[in-house]
Amino acid sequence: MSAPAAALTPVAAPAARGYWANVGRRLTRDPVSMACLGVLALILLAAVFAPYLGLADPYRGSMIRRLRPIGTEGYPLGTDELGRDMLSRLIHGGRLSLLIGILPVINAFVIGSLLGILAGYVGGRVNMAIMRTIDVFFAFPSVLLAIAISGALGAGIVNSLVSLTVVFVPPITRVAESVTTGVRNLDFVDAARASGAGALTVMRVHILGNVLGPIFVYATSLISVSMILASGLSFLGLGTKPPEPEWGLMLNTLRTAIYVNPWVAALPGAMIFAVSICFNLLSDGLRSAMDVRR
Amino acid sequence: MLLYILRRLLYVLPVALAVSLVCFLLVHIAPGDPLISVLPPDASQQLQEEMRKVYGFDRPLPVQFGIWIGRAVQGDLGSSIATGRTVASEVGRAVGNTFILAVAATLLGFVLGALFGFVAGYFRDSWIDKAATTLAIAGVSLPHYWLGMVLVIVFSVWLGVLPAVGAGPGGSTDWAWDWAHIRHLILPAVTMSVIPMGIVTRTIRALVGDILSQEFVDALRAKGLTDGGVFLHVVKNAAPTALAVMGVQLGYLLGGSILIETVFSWPGTGFLLNAAIFQRDLPLLQGTILVLALFFVGLNLAVDVVQTALDPRIKRG
Amino acid sequence: MTRKILLATAAAMALLAGPALAQKVVRIGMTAADIPRTLGQPDQGFEGNRFTGLTMYDGLTLWDLSSADKPSVVIPGLATEWSVAADDKTKWTFKLRAGVKFHDGSAFDADAVVWNVQKVLDQAAAHFDASQVGVTASRMPTLRGARKIDALTVELTTSQPDSFLPINLTNLFIASPAQWNKLLAAVPAAVGDPKERAKQAWEAFARDASGTGPWKMARFVPRERLEVVKNPDYWNKDRVPKVDRMVMLPMPEANARTAALLSGQVDWIEAPAPDAVPQLKARGMTVHANAQPHVWPWQFSRVEGSPWNDVRVRKAANLCVNRGEMKQLLNGLMVEAKGTVPPGHPWWGNPSFDIKYDPEQARKLMAEAGFSRQKPLTVKTQTSASGSGQMQPLPMNEFMQQNLAECFFKVELDVIEWNTLFTNWRKGAKDESARGSHAINVTYAAMDPFFAMIRFLDSKMAPPVSNNWGFINEPDYDRMVQEARTTFDAAARDAALARLHARSVNDAAFLWVAHDVGPRAMSPRIKGHVQPKSWFVDFSPMTID
Repeated sequence: MSAPAAALTPVAAPAARGYWANVGRRLTRDPVSMACLGVLALILLAAVFAPYLGLADPYRGSMIRRLRPIGTEGYPLGTDELGRDMLSRLIHGGRLSLLIGILPVINAFVIGSLLGILAGYVGGRVNMAIMRTIDVFFAFPSVLLAIAISGALGAGIVNSLVSLTVVFVPPITRVAESVTTGVRNLDFVDAARASGAGALTVMRVHILGNVLGPIFVYATSLISVSMILASGLSFLGLGTKPPEPEWGLMLNTLRTAIYVNPWVAALPGAMIFAVSICFNLLSDGLRSAMDVRR
Repeated sequence: MLLYILRRLLYVLPVALAVSLVCFLLVHIAPGDPLISVLPPDASQQLQEEMRKVYGFDRPLPVQFGIWIGRAVQGDLGSSIATGRTVASEVGRAVGNTFILAVAATLLGFVLGALFGFVAGYFRDSWIDKAATTLAIAGVSLPHYWLGMVLVIVFSVWLGVLPAVGAGPGGSTDWAWDWAHIRHLILPAVTMSVIPMGIVTRTIRALVGDILSQEFVDALRAKGLTDGGVFLHVVKNAAPTALAVMGVQLGYLLGGSILIETVFSWPGTGFLLNAAIFQRDLPLLQGTILVLALFFVGLNLAVDVVQTALDPRIKRG
Repeated sequence: MTRKILLATAAAMALLAGPALAQKVVRIGMTAADIPRTLGQPDQGFEGNRFTGLTMYDGLTLWDLSSADKPSVVIPGLATEWSVAADDKTKWTFKLRAGVKFHDGSAFDADAVVWNVQKVLDQAAAHFDASQVGVTASRMPTLRGARKIDALTVELTTSQPDSFLPINLTNLFIASPAQWNKLLAAVPAAVGDPKERAKQAWEAFARDASGTGPWKMARFVPRERLEVVKNPDYWNKDRVPKVDRMVMLPMPEANARTAALLSGQVDWIEAPAPDAVPQLKARGMTVHANAQPHVWPWQFSRVEGSPWNDVRVRKAANLCVNRGEMKQLLNGLMVEAKGTVPPGHPWWGNPSFDIKYDPEQARKLMAEAGFSRQKPLTVKTQTSASGSGQMQPLPMNEFMQQNLAECFFKVELDVIEWNTLFTNWRKGAKDESARGSHAINVTYAAMDPFFAMIRFLDSKMAPPVSNNWGFINEPDYDRMVQEARTTFDAAARDAALARLHARSVNDAAFLWVAHDVGPRAMSPRIKGHVQPKSWFVDFSPMTID
């Protein structure tokens, strides 16, 4: 999760409405990004409106209809090991999976940006205190840290949210600090100061405007890692608890069925893969759209 | 240079101490009975209290930490509650197994990644580039534990050509680089290599593209340097960063092998960690995390030092 | 062809086939995530006792595992006979078997028994090992000490008169003091602290164990494999193993075990995934199963206001579950329960209430109790989605939900995590954790009378003392428990337990549903395996082609 070089380059151009409009326009012209956005929007909407789609009850199973193959009448994607409708569980599973995948990154974006901007703007001892503490967490490989925290706290949705947030705060803080330090030393900030703008105004207008963009792009690139890690925790039995539908957990419980119905067992993994690759491609697209050098 | 290394080393000490504190706290602030693995759930209250005393879990946390860290410095990480074996021996054996797997996966990922990355960087925006980039993105987006499952379904269950679990016919103690053992390594190593493959491809592609777009390359070409010469030049300039990325990836694989080792029952540190978590074996849990984290710190230090030595452009502060 | 050439050819062939013939090896995939402890007192529950207890060690008493049909009962082991003192019922005399040798060659005697009791009960003893206490002391709650009378006689003391002691003692495995002392002497002198020396000696003992059992430890790779070889000098000649070597591999994942058996990595697996059973059979594997002393019940709350306080309702529920159909849904991997123990067991006691599927009778009882299709009875049951011994809790409970609906029950299921459920079991129906449940679905082993019946039926065993979750308070039970515990003639004690069992069935104290069958799958090369009605197995009679 080393910070990509592109995200570290402070965007020197003053944040203007024109710039963001430009970014937006460039993004809409990129077919790959648009396709990914479409797929993600579809999955997200389906997950949000799952209760209104007229799907089968995702909790209601039946021993008589266990492990039906894909294409069974009434069960387009088959049934799971307890006879529950796979289509319904995959769509309902999107709710928790997306939540525990995306929420930690949002949390970490807020906390990490605050810490990093504070460290970068104030500098000195505050910077030392914050950045050296962050360094300690960099001493753990991300998977190990997530599993250590979840393993210690025990299984549960809240616990896995906490552990993943802790994993993503340090890298975001580091990016935020380095971008802020870069922007702070730029000429136009000095000019603003010289013209008598107060510290708060400088921070609000100039620093936030120029800093949040790169941090945001960096944060979007973490979502796919977060999705994989979050479902990995559930897969190990450290995340969501049964009988909640969640892709990682479904993958785990369906393992018992790989002899009977391997393709049904593989479906939740395909969902994680699809969402994760879309977030990655979208994040790449966003980065090149924001790259003013082009 | 020596001064630089010394300074980096000195800086590692407080980090290591802080890391051990984090390991200890992580494990001890957690809810749950630390003696769950040796006490059956129907043990009497009195027996539970007696046992807590015998194991020293009745003492205040700072005292427990002091005792633990004092012994850890001497290489004694205590004994596993569940098995009674020393944590050092458990972790030592597991680290060796994880090392075999992680090194194999890193090498595989690096070779493939370097190949794809160079080709993609050389033929930017061609269909080869597009294919390599897609492969790289897929590599970093794949839930690798799922890939492992799919590979087991195909190669063990259907085709029956490769074993599904374990680290060799006779356990890991007599590991050898013969076919009987390598068969067991193939599936987990391939599964594990997809992430470094993706990352190395992306890094090298960007590096090669950058170097080729710089003006001095055109200048070199103008001076009559052959394509082979330009290639060598590119390799020389890309190598330090690529090697650094590989080193860091090795670190991630060593510390993050738990999912894959669980899928393949590979008797490494991840497998051990999984057992320690679910048996709530505190000494084993904190010992394993500590060793892995310190290993990662050391590896990052080594990568820094080597990179500084190799790349004249990085200033030694 | 001359005779000479023929002989020479035969000799050459024997030489070629030699290594294959010399060793008969059976490889077993266990469900444990780690090799159970090898130093005498195994962890990992009864699977631990099965693989690293009863193989390498013996207890003073043993389980009879020789028959697939008869119930498994306690028989003499390292002790040949025992009796309780006439004047003081807390003192037992055990006569020991003569001529038994530990694997290291030292002799088994009274000193060894005293030493093995001390290892878990005497904190002052040099070889006291706290890590073995938990799994041992809780299985013999009343044992307090041991004293040598002569070389082959010991006296054991209990805290209160307790006729269950000989049954409890199947869990105390006798390790070799001589071997331990030898290993203690080998601990480097640099280690001064006697406690630390003892700890290291036990660690060494776990790697180089010595007991009196039919198998000797040969090779041990922690967390990966344990190899034992046959003990040709075993004291019971009938139980000398027929194969030379047995390899045990921990494989916690049901799929990994199945894949390993199918690909020939192992010859025998414990608990194959039920879904894989048809495929295993199709590929020629044999699947063995037999009723285990295990109960899959609903344990009723009997606190004020619980609907289960009406015996008619309890009986109706017992008559309304179609256990036969449930068995089909589980691929045949269960036995229909008719009580805590099955008919034919010494504690069975011929109850008059016959537990079977009779929905007509059930509806009649419910109508008498004042319920009907229009006015159903709502009951809430707490269960888990998974857990050791729980079999397939969700499908099974759901099936019962559908069954019971036919008898005017409206069942709500409260599904919680297994560990939480297990903790709640000890807190009782009155505790907040029960969340208003009227029944709890926790399975248990029923080998020892205390764990099978006493802790649920005795009013003194109500939480927080033990697992009388529903606060059953029935003076009849209390009296019968006391009687059984203080009846020291084994047959009379079993008769007293049978009366208690019959009384509890007639009273429909539980909703008894199923017994687990301990399924295991084997390669067709394994012959002569006996699957007893027990959690344990005797590995001695099997052979492999």
